[in-house]
Amino acid sequence: MTADKLEARALTKHFGDLEVLHEVSANIREGEFVALVGPSGCGKTTFLRIVAGLETADGGAVEVDGRAISGPGRDRGFVFQSDSLLPWRNIFDNTIVGLELAGRISAEDLARTRKLLDLVGLKGFENYFPRQLSGGMRQRVNLARALAIDPELLLMDEPFSALDAQTREIMQVELQRIWEEGRKTVLFVTHQIDEAVFLSDRVLVFARRPGRILEEVEIDLPRPRTIATKRDPKFVTLVDHIWKLIEHDVRESVLFEHH
Amino acid sequence: MAYDKKPLVPLPFLRSGKTASGRVELEGYQVAIISVVVGLIGWQIFSDLVIANSLFLASPTQVLEALVSLSLSGELWAHVKTSAVEFLLGYAIAAVVGVATGLLIATSPFWKSWLQPWISGLYATPTVALGPLFILWLGIGIWSKVLVVVLLVVFAVTINTEAGIRSTSERYLEMMRCFGATPRQLFLKVSLPSATPFILAGLKLGIGRGLIGVVVAELFGSRLGLGRLIGQSADSFNMPELFAAVAILAASGILMNSAFSKLETRLVPWTKD
Repeated sequence: MTADKLEARALTKHFGDLEVLHEVSANIREGEFVALVGPSGCGKTTFLRIVAGLETADGGAVEVDGRAISGPGRDRGFVFQSDSLLPWRNIFDNTIVGLELAGRISAEDLARTRKLLDLVGLKGFENYFPRQLSGGMRQRVNLARALAIDPELLLMDEPFSALDAQTREIMQVELQRIWEEGRKTVLFVTHQIDEAVFLSDRVLVFARRPGRILEEVEIDLPRPRTIATKRDPKFVTLVDHIWKLIEHDVRESVLFEHH
Repeated sequence: MAYDKKPLVPLPFLRSGKTASGRVELEGYQVAIISVVVGLIGWQIFSDLVIANSLFLASPTQVLEALVSLSLSGELWAHVKTSAVEFLLGYAIAAVVGVATGLLIATSPFWKSWLQPWISGLYATPTVALGPLFILWLGIGIWSKVLVVVLLVVFAVTINTEAGIRSTSERYLEMMRCFGATPRQLFLKVSLPSATPFILAGLKLGIGRGLIGVVVAELFGSRLGLGRLIGQSADSFNMPELFAAVAILAASGILMNSAFSKLETRLVPWTKD
């Protein structure tokens, strides 16, 4: 058994003729917060979906705690880009849905879920319905729902990309605060470099065509980080460095592809 | 919530010093009531002064008289009861069969391919026209009418149920799969609640179609029923009784539709704002 929480070895994935991932390997330590950044089409989301078990790789292997994964499992909690809250369930029932699928809900589960909603700042909103909540609040539920199953690994797929700039900044600080509470192992996909640097212990920079890891960047900024951290010269240098790594790819994806 | 309050409707012709805008403003439902009353008065005046011949048009007061005398003689109740039984039996059968068939074809590709041509074909066919045939098969009693109602309602329900299950958002399904949902759980906890608004819409559509079915089937041949009352009134140029029957049908349609809307608000509140 390895000391790593997650080990991905030589993952390869094709969509038709396109090689989306080319022998991507990554190891994530227990309690580590790792971000994946890269231009669109670099395979970062595909990598995350393979780890989640939502896609299967054409080659390579993924192990969580030394066990090979073979599909979705409750050892991994997924935070979706679109919140995917069920509109007919209130906030509490949406949050507890993962535990409900696993079987009978214990009194302990109920108390835990209540505490989590409190942690993400939604105390008092248990009986509201998703349509009554703002985008930022819905993403908090999305996060609480993933945390409710107490996963070994938290997988986050651009969870703040649909939020406005101010809400996103607040949610980044909030996520850091929530993460400090439990220190889950997190794999966080984003296309925002500053978001990746702000949140992570380590950033995996992806390149495209084929999708591969270009560089691993250690982020040794002290925690807790605040909005002011983003003006720290060290922070700016790190963001700049990553931007230079992917600049060419980003230009290419913006200029020559129209999705 | 505060924004749930509906705005008042300004009346275009009247002015008053009481409101800020100088306009007379009423609740939406109050305007609707006034509209109906004005319509009835117009109808009354029209049938008293313009077409003052009860062989062509009955006035609201004549219709009301007919309603009273028909109910006092007990005749009306017999007609209403027969039609109601036919409608409710046919509607209940169609609802059960329709939802079941819709769920079946939504979950089984084989049954979808097998049944789809029949469902699409028969939904578009004016199956009321088969009423006379059903009287030959099932006799002049209620069952030939029940069958017409079933055929008119069932496909609307089936098609809506299937569409509802099929339109279940892939995002929800994937989220639940991610949390380890079994196919059974996906169906019960995602597809079914997600399809409920569609199923209710199909059932609501069925109310109007079912009422048409009852009346037309009875017109083809029956001993009792509101369609029968309409038929015999038309034959004897008794317009007040004809309108009385139509008024009862209209009232029951409106009543069932609004009861259904209430049910929707209770069962699928997330589709309402």
